[in-house]
Amino acid sequence: MFLAQLTNELWKLFGKKRTYIGFGAFVLAQSAMLILFKYTNWQKHFEAMLANNGYVATEYISALTVALIMVWPQVLLLMPLYVALVGGDLVAKEAEDGTLRMILSRPISRARLLTVKWLGGIIFAAVLVLALGVIALLTARVLFPWGGMFVFGKLQTSSAFSLFEPGQGLALYAFSHLFMVMNAITMLSVAFMFSCFNMKPAAATILALSYLFMNMVMQHIPFFESYQNWFITYHFESWFLVFENPTPWPQIFQSEITLVAISATAFMIGAMGFQVRDIKS
Amino acid sequence: MIALREVHKKFGARVAVHELTLSVPRGEIFGLLGHNGAGKSTAIGMMLGQVWPTRGEVKVCGHDVTSQRARALQKVGAIFEAPAFYDYLSGRRNLEILSHYSAPTSPERIRQVVDWVGLTGREQSKVRTYSHGMRARLAIAQALLPQPELLILDEPGSGLDPEGIAEMRQTIARLHRELGLTILLSSHLLGEVEQLCTRIAVLNQGRKVFEGQVADIKAARGRVALRTPDFAGATALLRERGIISGSIDGKYIALNEGRTTAEVAKALVTADIPVQGIWHEEQTLEDFYLTLVKAGNTANHD
Repeated sequence: MFLAQLTNELWKLFGKKRTYIGFGAFVLAQSAMLILFKYTNWQKHFEAMLANNGYVATEYISALTVALIMVWPQVLLLMPLYVALVGGDLVAKEAEDGTLRMILSRPISRARLLTVKWLGGIIFAAVLVLALGVIALLTARVLFPWGGMFVFGKLQTSSAFSLFEPGQGLALYAFSHLFMVMNAITMLSVAFMFSCFNMKPAAATILALSYLFMNMVMQHIPFFESYQNWFITYHFESWFLVFENPTPWPQIFQSEITLVAISATAFMIGAMGFQVRDIKS
Repeated sequence: MIALREVHKKFGARVAVHELTLSVPRGEIFGLLGHNGAGKSTAIGMMLGQVWPTRGEVKVCGHDVTSQRARALQKVGAIFEAPAFYDYLSGRRNLEILSHYSAPTSPERIRQVVDWVGLTGREQSKVRTYSHGMRARLAIAQALLPQPELLILDEPGSGLDPEGIAEMRQTIARLHRELGLTILLSSHLLGEVEQLCTRIAVLNQGRKVFEGQVADIKAARGRVALRTPDFAGATALLRERGIISGSIDGKYIALNEGRTTAEVAKALVTADIPVQGIWHEEQTLEDFYLTLVKAGNTANHD
């Protein structure tokens, strides 16, 4: 019965067009980035940087490197936006449309209904992130050759860059997406929590994004440097730590456990708010 | 089937339902009447466990809705004003989704219900392509899926055209006749309630102001219509002779206790006042309802 309810939740979720906005946006954004990478000076600058560090540029300007560069801004901004959009819809949209009243005239408990909806949302979040990774890699492969992976940027424990053989790079690329899924689940859970209260779906989405941006801004204010652990965005960076050498597993697990706890707390708060709420037309 | 005992509901400082006690026995079509904001939907919400009562006891099918909601609603179907569906999915998919919130439902049962409401052939079409009447039929289908014993209908005729209203009325009567369902019908359409319901309750500003048999209301002493070219002269004479206590709207007279229309006719003819017609007018549910609500409002203003 639970499985049938979850399947139906997925029918509802994947049956409506707005669920696919995120997938469409990823394809558009990645196509635009690819064209910029390929046909602007970006590639020349990148080759020069690699050459200055003693590496053969042709080995590392690859589909894997470009895919990772494309994924970065999308994980930071687009992915939270689209999971918050769906998370904010999960309960509030049904309340707004009147279907929630139809459901709650049936003997299903509110806690079970929310659990089914939340799990449906989690499946969506996982599919969205995995689609992001696969689409990025496939589209990058169209214009760039297969080769080693070059990772650079400010990492949490070092600011150096890393180089990986193609096989190892692909494995790490796939592995990092598991942690990105946790980021997406956390954002979805926050939006879901707001959605459980008496508000419009857009309001739930906006509140969730406001929470994200507030964390993002505060995390980068020097005054809060010693309070990094309190910010959700700090833990959202853990997916990138898998590219560090050696991998800081304790830090990654600490962040993942924190994100699991935030998601569970958001669900519980939402469930409590929903339980005491009067559902009216 | 439904028993509300001293149920009270407040939204903030506003009292939506005031100490409501109500009983709907098995097999009855019970009408719940009241103007917008009278507390009907809140009362229905409490029966379905959608609205939590501030205090009081709500029992459906013998189970307390607050503490045993799942058991109480196991054999209950509900239809709301402007039934909402997942428009982007087919009618059949909607039925599957909604039925799984009650109990596992076989494809055969869904087929039976679709057939019963007359949607066969259109069940695979997306709900967004359905007419208002078809949506109403789909709403009935979803309510029938759990093989209910009790059907709660909250303004089911709202937004339907006269043909749709008539169809809805026939369907409700058929549900009662063929499936033996107990039905709670909340409606603004007094004519429909009068034709369908055996008993009614009237809510006004959250309070129950009447509960009783529709037949009793109709049988109650109505007003007497008097048609004469000199209505003012006639009523003055009848009042002078102690036959009537007053007149209403220049058309009706109120007979004093023990007086008859024959006496009215005799008095007027004797006084050379022509009488074109005189008859008892049966009290309609609408007259009764409006009088009741008017009296309640006047009392509250006083």
